[in-house]
Amino acid sequence: MKGIYNCEVIAQSEVSPGVIRSLLRCPEIACQAQPGQFVNVQVSATTTDPLLRRPFSVHAVYPSEGLFSLLYVLVGKGTAMMTKITSGENISVVGPLGRGFDLGNSPDAQHILVAGGCGAAPLHFLSDRLCALWGCKNVKVLVGSRSKDAVLCEAEFISHGVEVEVSTDDGTYGHHGLVTELLKRHLDSSLSTLHSPTRIYSCGPNAMMREVARIAHEAGVSSCQVSLENNMACGLGVCMGCVQKIKGAVPGDTSGTDWHRERVCKDGPVFNAEDIIWD
Amino acid sequence: MGLTTPDLSVNIGKIKMKNPVTVASGTFGSGQEMADFYDLGRLGAITVKGTSLEPWPGNDYPRTVETSSGMLNAIGLQNDGLDAFVNEKLPFLRQFDVPVIVNVVGQSVDEYARVSEVLGKTEGVHGLELNVSCPNVKKGCLAFGNSPEGIAEVVSAVRSVTDLTLITKLSPNVTDVVSIAKTAVEAGSDALSLINTLLGVAIDPWQKKFRLANITGGLSGPAIKPIALRMVWQVAQAVDVPIIGMGGIMNATDAVEFMLAGADAVAVGTGNFVNPMAAVEIIEGIQEYLMSTNVSDIKQIVGVVGK
Ligand SMILES: Cc1cc2nc3c(=O)[nH]c(=O)nc-3n(C[C@H](O)[C@H](O)[C@H](O)COP(=O)(O)OP(=O)(O)OC[C@H]3O[C@@H](n4cnc5c(N)ncnc54)[C@H](O)[C@@H]3O)c2cc1C
Ligand SMILES: Cc1cc2nc3c(=O)[nH]c(=O)nc-3n(C[C@H](O)[C@H](O)[C@H](O)COP(=O)(O)O)c2cc1C
Ligand code: FES
Repeated sequence: MKGIYNCEVIAQSEVSPGVIRSLLRCPEIACQAQPGQFVNVQVSATTTDPLLRRPFSVHAVYPSEGLFSLLYVLVGKGTAMMTKITSGENISVVGPLGRGFDLGNSPDAQHILVAGGCGAAPLHFLSDRLCALWGCKNVKVLVGSRSKDAVLCEAEFISHGVEVEVSTDDGTYGHHGLVTELLKRHLDSSLSTLHSPTRIYSCGPNAMMREVARIAHEAGVSSCQVSLENNMACGLGVCMGCVQKIKGAVPGDTSGTDWHRERVCKDGPVFNAEDIIWD
Repeated sequence: MGLTTPDLSVNIGKIKMKNPVTVASGTFGSGQEMADFYDLGRLGAITVKGTSLEPWPGNDYPRTVETSSGMLNAIGLQNDGLDAFVNEKLPFLRQFDVPVIVNVVGQSVDEYARVSEVLGKTEGVHGLELNVSCPNVKKGCLAFGNSPEGIAEVVSAVRSVTDLTLITKLSPNVTDVVSIAKTAVEAGSDALSLINTLLGVAIDPWQKKFRLANITGGLSGPAIKPIALRMVWQVAQAVDVPIIGMGGIMNATDAVEFMLAGADAVAVGTGNFVNPMAAVEIIEGIQEYLMSTNVSDIKQIVGVVGK
């Protein structure tokens, strides 16, 4: 069950320029978190500026050690303050929050993970679980980033034993171009030969996920899930701040509106791509 | 002396609160999401999200933005409507030993009255908080709260359809909060709550555009506390009905300040987002404050500053 925990920061290290991995002690979160869930971190207990907690996906869990990790990009005031926290200090963390990925129930499904930038953070935890559940040979990860030094988690994915393909916008490493091109190529080459269902999981910039959703739809992929990162205030489902437009009328609505809004923090952050109305 | 547990109970109209702490409407949903953190029965009262007759879709996204020691919200009172509240949300709240105050919104005087009439006959509703102060909707709400005439019309219409304790929630976006407060009381309000959020905007200098889809939003959080305290103090001097004070309350010290200024009870809003345990920690903190200052009854500190 979600809770507020005082977590000891075990270590923080810069894994690539401006990207930090934080290892935290919290047996409750380490044991309960599911891939795709997130935590809400108080970046400082002594100031009201920044005021609100910052949401971060659970990047990895080590239940037997009672540890979990986050992977975050230095963006602004809050993340800058987080980098200043030293080992041994405690931070307040609320979690685990939200609804994670549906890992499917078919032992022979093919799982394709499409990460854009820091979207690799939750997909790392996901690939670990998928491997444990269905075996790594059924899992493939496509990692997209700006350039070579911004590629995240490639080594970790490989160490899980999954197949990884990388793309960079500037062509400094892997495929020169967008990660969605890799996805398209992969689907084009494999779908005709594969008889097993394909499941796609994606996290990254909205424009990328929208394209992933389109490609998946066109290829007739059975399940495509995306993890959204809408701005949040409470992260708990009480403020209605983080809403996303979702297809379909609410039951009982007679006004003729064919969409409604759901809370990304509580009803998501993972949604079926088919349900989303991309603005 | 000093060690006996002080009496924390307060009355807001006919609502008996075991302690003076409630939560601010719109920052606690209908309670369900917060029940994972603590027993909701520990609160003095629960004030739920604004409820209208029919479901409201609310405003476009982005709806919130952080500002210095505060945040702007332009939720636009998204809610599932009266029937959903009564049938789906209220049964959950009835399990707890805590009075429920429903925040009522409407686009017309008639809508306020119809929602209030139904709630007045519904088991498990102990009070109505009339939101005539939300800055984020085009029709209704602040349009009424802005003028004494508007307030008088809404309050008397609701008063004529229900005996429930009526709390009118005042807007800080007015020049003379005292005259509005007096009007609300004369029209039949049993209590007042203040303040709602302050109208503001935030701009993204890099994209050169407004940050909220709605452009304007309501400012809440520690940044507004001095304004809220001033208004509570001013209104407390002018009226004889109980006051629920809110605006930037993050801890017990903030809450005590509101009571010293004249609030009989307090509500925690944005503070719930930062610390989901804030409301119960505030109850404990108020108790400690009273014990350490040798006060046996919380009512003794209400309004002692500035009398
Ligand atoms: C469910 C979820 C999971 C996330 N997981 C990760 C992750 O694993 N790694 C990572 O690097 N980032 C993640 N993010 C984004 C991360 O929350 C923001 O980058 C971070 O809040 C920026 O904070 P800041 O103070 O440095 O930036 P500022 O720009 O100073 O933040 C200002 C305000 O905007 C909010 N904000 C800004 N950008 C975002 C954003 N993209 N999403 C949500 N709120 C935002 C902040 O919380 C804050 O209230 C996630 C966001 C969500 C919603
Ligand atoms: C996200 C959000 C939603 C709100 N929704 C409502 C509402 O539905 N009805 C209402 O009367 N006030 C609403 N308010 C105002 C609060 O109840 C409260 O008056 C205000 O936030 C000031 O208190 P605070 O600074 O402690 O948050 C809302 C405030 C926030 C931040
Ligand atoms: S952030 Fe408050 S409801 Fe999602």
